Amino acid sequence: MHLTLAIAKGRLQQQALETCRRAGISVPKEELDSRRLMIKDASGRYSFLFVKPGDVPTYVEYGVADAGICGRDVLLETSAEVHEPLDLRFGRCKLVVAGKPESAERGYNPLVTARVATKYPRVTADYFQRRGVPVELIVLSGSVELAPLLGLSDHIVDLVETGRTLSENGLVVIDTIAESSARLIVNRASYHLKRAEIAQLLASLREVLSAG
Amino acid sequence: MPSSLSKIPPGVQYIFDSEVRVRRWIEREIMAILDGWSYSEIILPVFDYADLFALGMGKEQAEMTYRFTGRDGSLFALRPEMTSLVARTVATRFRGNARPIRLSYSGEVFRWDEPRGGRQYEFHQIGLEHIGSDRLEADTEVLVIATEVLRRLGLEGFTITLGHVDFFKGIAERLELDDDGIREMRELVDRKEAAGLDAFLAGHADASTRAALCKLITLAGKREILNDARSLVGNARSVAALDDLENVYRIAEEIGIDEHIDIDLGDVAALDYYTGLTFKIYATGLGTALGRGGRYDQLLAKFGNPEAAVGFSLCLDWLAQLLSTKLAGAIADRPDDVVRLADGRDIVAIFKEATRLREEGKRVEVGGKGD
Repeated sequence: MHLTLAIAKGRLQQQALETCRRAGISVPKEELDSRRLMIKDASGRYSFLFVKPGDVPTYVEYGVADAGICGRDVLLETSAEVHEPLDLRFGRCKLVVAGKPESAERGYNPLVTARVATKYPRVTADYFQRRGVPVELIVLSGSVELAPLLGLSDHIVDLVETGRTLSENGLVVIDTIAESSARLIVNRASYHLKRAEIAQLLASLREVLSAG
Repeated sequence: MPSSLSKIPPGVQYIFDSEVRVRRWIEREIMAILDGWSYSEIILPVFDYADLFALGMGKEQAEMTYRFTGRDGSLFALRPEMTSLVARTVATRFRGNARPIRLSYSGEVFRWDEPRGGRQYEFHQIGLEHIGSDRLEADTEVLVIATEVLRRLGLEGFTITLGHVDFFKGIAERLELDDDGIREMRELVDRKEAAGLDAFLAGHADASTRAALCKLITLAGKREILNDARSLVGNARSVAALDDLENVYRIAEEIGIDEHIDIDLGDVAALDYYTGLTFKIYATGLGTALGRGGRYDQLLAKFGNPEAAVGFSLCLDWLAQLLSTKLAGAIADRPDDVVRLADGRDIVAIFKEATRLREEGKRVEVGGKGD
């Protein structure tokens, strides 16, 4: 039986394909160079979909893709009902609360609503609410670091890989919400209906991971 | 027209034409099978006291009900599921009846659950409850019926996965987790999130236990996985759960329905009322479970009459979605066998003729172009 894999475009794409290649699933170069969004691997047993990172859980949850590779940050934000059996250990980064140094010193004041700019509204709301801090979400889709600089928000919640963008913009990490890395996710129905194929995929990916 | 009149609230549906015919056909087929196994249909109220559902489903799940107050100020909820209603009825009004009691139902349920994965706020459940027996016969009967239903409907491929509540509970007991810990671990197991589980267990278990548990949650397959599991867990409660699963599976093999049945040790039921065997039904073409069920041996005690029970339900909306293409020719498109009676003629004559045709069992349509 055939498996369809949804791969997050961008940051994780190259390493995801490299991991697949080492697991014996190789995509011909001319296919990769084409601009098609859906391509087949050399064996014809796998199809790849290249979609926006935030959409990977959706494709997998609905079963349009049997499995997918995306960051844990995206899974936390979408809380899609999928299985998450493997940590692929690349694309490591952190979801953090950051702000200007003076706001880091002040901490959160539970009596004052925190204005937070982010691409991760669900994770952000959950984090502040758990701490009893009222929060006003400012949902942005990019360049979140600008928000505190221009006084649009007190804090930001964003993904940090090296921390360079933060420091170059004069921001500091206040707290780490979660560690993230690339995950293999599997549709709940496919896990059973295509059990042998999924098990084989998991086994070959595990082998790659243990080889380091 | 004000927008509130033209717009439809998210999560509700209007269904018409061929889709209605498909749904009604599926419903009739299933109810006929349940009737064939001596389940008698019960028609249940669309709303009842909110407390009833909180007692049945657990507080967390009951948060998802639509609630409103009655005239006297009592709090009601639209039914989010049928089992609590059936259980209360059996524990009170059917207390004196001979056991086991077999009941079937078909109707809409309402849950305020973020519409995702194609889920709606309102969906139609068809199911059965087998009450008053804790025997293997009852579990087997329910599985055999589920298989008959899915085969009869002609689903292309389906798998019933078997799990057992005590398997996880036995492990959680050994780890001495508090309620939050249990909830967190259950979520990790439900997502088969091995990496997260390993990190979670760091403070609770030694390395070999951690490795064993992380392996266990991804275990799924035929009977042989029970042996793998036995080599990994030793606590009495989990072992008894494996014995239960083994017994059911062995019988399924002998009856010849095991090709459709898998064991999934990482299946942790979300509803608090399940106590033993649980199962989920998956079908090719659908990314989520089509139906679910299991044992709920503690539920009737909450209504004052402790006794064992098992049941399952299927989601008609999912079935209709899966089968609509397949049934398009046979069910969805009606044969054009209607007799059209032109109007503009003598109204008395038309309706006399129409009545005569109806007595012959013909389908008529008055008006239109006519012959």
